[in-house]
Amino acid sequence: MRDLAERALDAAVTAGADYADCRVVDRRVQHLVVKNGKVVTVEVGEDEGLGVRVIAGGAWGFAGGCRLDAASVEETARHAVRIARASARLNPRPVHLAPLAPVSGAYRTPVEQDPFEVSLDAKLDLLMRTDEAMARVAQVTVRESNSFGRHQLCAGWEVIEGFDMPGNAERIATEAAALLTADRCPAGTMTVILDGTQAALQVHESCGHPTELDRVLGTEAAYAGMSFLTPELLGTFRYGSEQVTLTADSTRATGLGTFGWDDEGVPARRTMLVDKGIFSGYMTSRETAAVLGQESNGTMRADGWARLPLIRMTNVNLEPGSSSLDEMIATTKHGVYLETNRSWSIDDRRLNFQFGTQNAWEIVDGMRTRLVRNALYSGTTPEFWRSCDAVASDAEWRMWGVVNCGKGQPSQLMHVGHGAAPCRFQNVRVEPAQ
Amino acid sequence: MTVLPADDVVALSEGALMQARMGDAEAVVTSVTEELTRFAANAIHQNVAERSLRLRARVLADNRVGTAASTGEAGADLAARVMAAAESAREVATQTDVSPIPEPDEGADDPAAYSAATAAATPELRADHVAAIARRASGRGLVAYGYLSTAQRQTAVANTKGVRRSATSTQAGAVVVVRGDAGSGYASRHDADIDRIDIEEMADEAVDTCLRNQGADAIEPGTYEVVLAPYAVTDLLEHLGWVGFSALAVQEHRSFMRIGEKAMSESVTIRDDCRDPDLFPYPFDAEGVSTQPLDLIARGVCHAVVYDTPTALKDGVRSTGHSLPQPNTWGPYASHLAMLPGESSVPELIAGITRGLYITRFWYVRDVHPLHAIITGMTRDGTFLIENGRLSRPVRDLRFTQSIVDALGDVRGISRERRLELGESETGVLSPWLHLGHFAFSS
Repeated sequence: MRDLAERALDAAVTAGADYADCRVVDRRVQHLVVKNGKVVTVEVGEDEGLGVRVIAGGAWGFAGGCRLDAASVEETARHAVRIARASARLNPRPVHLAPLAPVSGAYRTPVEQDPFEVSLDAKLDLLMRTDEAMARVAQVTVRESNSFGRHQLCAGWEVIEGFDMPGNAERIATEAAALLTADRCPAGTMTVILDGTQAALQVHESCGHPTELDRVLGTEAAYAGMSFLTPELLGTFRYGSEQVTLTADSTRATGLGTFGWDDEGVPARRTMLVDKGIFSGYMTSRETAAVLGQESNGTMRADGWARLPLIRMTNVNLEPGSSSLDEMIATTKHGVYLETNRSWSIDDRRLNFQFGTQNAWEIVDGMRTRLVRNALYSGTTPEFWRSCDAVASDAEWRMWGVVNCGKGQPSQLMHVGHGAAPCRFQNVRVEPAQ
Repeated sequence: MTVLPADDVVALSEGALMQARMGDAEAVVTSVTEELTRFAANAIHQNVAERSLRLRARVLADNRVGTAASTGEAGADLAARVMAAAESAREVATQTDVSPIPEPDEGADDPAAYSAATAAATPELRADHVAAIARRASGRGLVAYGYLSTAQRQTAVANTKGVRRSATSTQAGAVVVVRGDAGSGYASRHDADIDRIDIEEMADEAVDTCLRNQGADAIEPGTYEVVLAPYAVTDLLEHLGWVGFSALAVQEHRSFMRIGEKAMSESVTIRDDCRDPDLFPYPFDAEGVSTQPLDLIARGVCHAVVYDTPTALKDGVRSTGHSLPQPNTWGPYASHLAMLPGESSVPELIAGITRGLYITRFWYVRDVHPLHAIITGMTRDGTFLIENGRLSRPVRDLRFTQSIVDALGDVRGISRERRLELGESETGVLSPWLHLGHFAFSS
């Protein structure tokens, strides 16, 4: 791989690049699906290729190719340079990168049990036992369990076993059946408590995306949009209450955004985004950090060899507080406890949001009472986070994985992490979907 | 420049089949060359190219199935590796829900949408087009953001039952958001042939919308009569495709479609037609089955849903040729959606409204309640108040939460003109302007 990369870089420089970087990616995946008691999918995949990014004539060019012979690699590099020269036809401001010291090293995700060493029989047995547990609930008509879901972690087979899918399956099926006859969610302005998974998505949409500096500078304006968190607000804007501290941390164990270096070679690190409610930082790249006179904090990632690295969330975490779910419920007069996302939408500046969850439990006088269905809650980002009056402690804090974060054109899907714990908000608009 | 000549793509798929030592097998080979020039603030800031070769193989035997996919080196080694992996996967999969590999059908190999000009497009051509867009914006003191893309795709499907299908297609697209100090405008164009995209006309549309959309005021949320531009209508049709028009959604009782029942206004006919020259014509699906044109909603009545081989087997019918790569749990998908045009001009649609809203496009549209086809999302890049039959002033973006089926049950007018737009799943959708009697905005 290193020889191929060196060959690509040499070819790019020979063709006139002032700067070039190269990534060689070899990815293996295994995907298993059991549905309604039958194995539907047993799929193995491999994905190899090389991507070359260059600056020539002061402008960017990128090319990716799947052929890894010497001649093809050199041709890919030369094509990247040609593209950069075309970019230079409409690039009045030459690219300037923040400085970065050269580094050399290797990074490997800590793994107790290599998932590719576990037999297919053992994996399918896990899915079949999960399916059988769901099948015990009579009203369930469609059952699916798979090796790809909304929650994933960077670790070994030990985390899959730790999820205890067979042990949770019957409870989940029972809740699904109960929703069929549950009352509609009450409407009104009330207290909302989010479980860790919904808190993770709330962080993703309303904190993670608006603190991506490329969005702020307009490079995503035609697609994902821009951000309400503009640079003049840094250090002074009250984003949330004092309970709210948010970080981008690519060093946190098991996160999908945990790595040794980002795709520009910037070392993993922890960056404060919101410090006790005050907006305090962005996720940056070498190019965008230079605009603010900073060094990159290492968040550039591509979703494969065929794509250009972009600023992506690493692990954007809501840091733990001092409360607990039980305490939050016990001190709530009237509200809902919301579990597990089913619908999400937010505007292009990341202010106006609406989320829906699978489960909603009505809270009355400090007690979790009935299950209600089709709950939606909505609000405006800073007002919502300013109303946060409790975050659960380390004891209930978990790292969650989001596997479908879309950004960029051509589209890229990124795996990102979010550490979160249950948290409580006041005066939130709640209503049923139907 | 392509990764492999078209004949080699076909040969690779057939070569893969030779590696299958038992049972039935299917090989799908796709060669993709895609280039995209992206711009922001009147400058090119990202400019990329991808050349890839993907092989996907499925092996079935003894009521077992295995699949393997690979992107990488071309040639027999790739085919051998993929088929070996598929067979090893097959060995372990007991109690499998195996859907048979389809037989060849009588469908003709109609040509896919293809343009030599698009296939030959260069980075320099794209840069010049982007410069033209930037000039139109900067000439009015505005800044442009967006992309211009060109792609060529060669696909071959071969199976041991005798299916041999191949097609070469192209696609070109341009999207622009023009921003001023206090508002923005949007336009996009998509076509198989880049030379048929009028870049300056598209830029002018976005500039015009942007200039009219400066300094928007807030308006009370509520239920309004609306005129939706085709960009917004595309979101409605695409979401109907996801939640309603699939046979799997019907079989699992999560679709609004009840065949033979009236669901929408009589003026609404929604087709899926892979032969429509105004869409991106393409003759077969991911299983190599010929895609059939279908009226999904005919004059407001639920008429048909799309099938792949597994769902067709369950209902005892023939596949309509709408399969995604098999095996999957998503079900079939209507990837050539079009709403038939009406008889009105766009000004006539607007003239029919005393007080309402004109919506240029939606953003971040998501399903809220699939069974009732309820979606939510935001308006973006040009929302205008209609007063006394004309656009009176821009208004701030609004969130809507609305049943698509309910909205299409109150259609007051449909435009003659339609636009081809890419949906979020990047398939073409042919949409008119729509005048709807009510649409609910919540914030």
